[in-house]
Amino acid sequence: MSGAQQVTSAGHRDAMLARPAMKFERLVPWALVAPALVIALVFFGLPILNTLRMSFNLHVDQRVYVPGFTLDQYWMLVKNPIFSGSILTTVKLSLICAFSAVTIGYGFALLVWIGPPLWRVGFIGLALCPLLISEISIIFGWWMFFPKTGLLSHTLLSAGLIEDRFSLMYTEFAALVGLTYLTLPFSFFIILSILDGIDKRLLEASSDLGAGPLTTFREVMLPLTWPGMLVAFAHAFIWAMGTYATPSALGPDTLWTIGFLVQEQMLGRHNWPMASALAIVLVVGVASIMLLMRRLMARGGRFHD
Amino acid sequence: MALALELDQVSRSYGAVVAVDSVSLDVEGGEFVTLLGPSGSGKTTTLRLIGGFERPNGGAISIAGRRVDHLPPYKRNTATIFQSGALFPHKTVAENIAYGLRMHAMNPSLIRERVGEALGIVQMGGFEERYPSQLSGGQKQRVALARSLALRPSLLLFDEPLSALDLSLRLQLRADIKRLHDELQFTAIYVTHDQSEAMAMSSRVAIMNCGRIEQVAPPQQIYNEPANEFVYSFIGESCCLPVRIDDGAARDQQGRPVDIRLAEPPSSGAWRLYLRPSRIRIGNEAHGCANTARGRVRFTEFLGDFNRYHLVAGGLEFFCDRAGERQYQIGEEVEAGWDTGDMKVFAA
Repeated sequence: MSGAQQVTSAGHRDAMLARPAMKFERLVPWALVAPALVIALVFFGLPILNTLRMSFNLHVDQRVYVPGFTLDQYWMLVKNPIFSGSILTTVKLSLICAFSAVTIGYGFALLVWIGPPLWRVGFIGLALCPLLISEISIIFGWWMFFPKTGLLSHTLLSAGLIEDRFSLMYTEFAALVGLTYLTLPFSFFIILSILDGIDKRLLEASSDLGAGPLTTFREVMLPLTWPGMLVAFAHAFIWAMGTYATPSALGPDTLWTIGFLVQEQMLGRHNWPMASALAIVLVVGVASIMLLMRRLMARGGRFHD
Repeated sequence: MALALELDQVSRSYGAVVAVDSVSLDVEGGEFVTLLGPSGSGKTTTLRLIGGFERPNGGAISIAGRRVDHLPPYKRNTATIFQSGALFPHKTVAENIAYGLRMHAMNPSLIRERVGEALGIVQMGGFEERYPSQLSGGQKQRVALARSLALRPSLLLFDEPLSALDLSLRLQLRADIKRLHDELQFTAIYVTHDQSEAMAMSSRVAIMNCGRIEQVAPPQQIYNEPANEFVYSFIGESCCLPVRIDDGAARDQQGRPVDIRLAEPPSSGAWRLYLRPSRIRIGNEAHGCANTARGRVRFTEFLGDFNRYHLVAGGLEFFCDRAGERQYQIGEEVEAGWDTGDMKVFAA
């Protein structure tokens, strides 16, 4: 060390001391997210990478898989109407389910938001119920509801609304109802949380300025709740895309969703590469929905800055 | 010409709770009438009944000669300025002001003209493209005012619009609203619990208590000629002396004689004497007053412009204000005096 460096000014010395501190400060956020990041990478990132790799393997001689590289599986997804059809079916089912969940959830959330305080307790309690029961138990519930001898048919018959018993079991409608029921509580809570952030005086102000109830809904409520509706929609859609048990147990045998085919290829046909390719389609589909929602949200939420 | 607003025996109750109890009030065009009262007195409910946010259980509401009590807010020619401002957060300032005009299907060029004009009136030109979240509390209330003014309603309803603002801003906006009223001559119903606001702005003040209007009069008359004990004690500061008069001699409630000499004592019985602390004279200044009381100084308070002396005479306590240095010490015996005209006597 030279003599000149030893006689540093006080300010210089402070800067020297501050430098490692700044480095440390920059590390703090990373240190804080590290545990979550590690878990995400190890338990979610690696399996997905593994699945991606698996989807390029060969499937020959009825063996589970043969290491190699081929795009056959993805080509099959496009070419084979069973696979392409199942993708379309899943997307259609999920879209209708998400749409119903958001619409019904919005209605209930509005009732809770506008209605008396007692309704809030009641509806929130009701909405929590399905979350406390496992999907399988709920399916058993539907099995007692939809068949010819089930509660629905019996009730309508006793009420004199229908002439003969009927069954809705194993129909696409039953599958849709089942899926919507699963996603409805989440839509309800997401939309309610958005509504709770809105000043109710806005409705009065709108009415006061000459807008009828429908105009108020279109001009004030829809734009303000749009972000919440998007989140609820995305949530219900993603959930419905990935759900396997409910559509399989309630829908017709011909209702082949991606989830059903993954199971079928994996366990029935012992074709792991095909099952993986289908799974990758799901992951990519869900990821693109998330990205699309983010873009739509950014556009809708610009007044918040 | 029809009255701008006519309330005829209007009532509103929630279950067993009567919020507004057969209130009648006539307001002429261009008047600025304030509903003033403690919380729970029914003033806000009355305003909401006029605006159409609540329906009356009985009575009739007419605006500009037309019965409106069956009409929803969007069919009434009123515009409300809410306490929170209630600006639409997803619309710009210009869009907020244009909202009501659009709802009345006005053509776009006229809307632009009116929006510009309204912003000019509240001195908010240049803020057209801002969102409410980018405005301060005072600016929000100005925009809310502009939004209502742009509609040129037959009645402007103010629901405690300044109560959420800090004092200096409140005083400034209060002066602005007063100036706008002088310039534009709109008819306004203004709800507040702040009496200085009511006194400063109103052409008439309606004092409300327990769902009823106790007195409607210009501010000076409310202060100088209160209709009853409630109005007297609610408006301004006052001291209350509960006394018993026996053959012209005053006693406190325990029956002990107190050193109070009244020029015109009321007949024998229990009475409450009310005095304004600013009108009570003390010490030498009290000499020659028609009414006097001797008391001991209990404690004093320094309140900036004046000192407040809390006096006790027997079982009676009262206070009086005097400008300048503190002159009397705790425990000192002093004389207080007042003119008969400055005292109100109500039967207990």
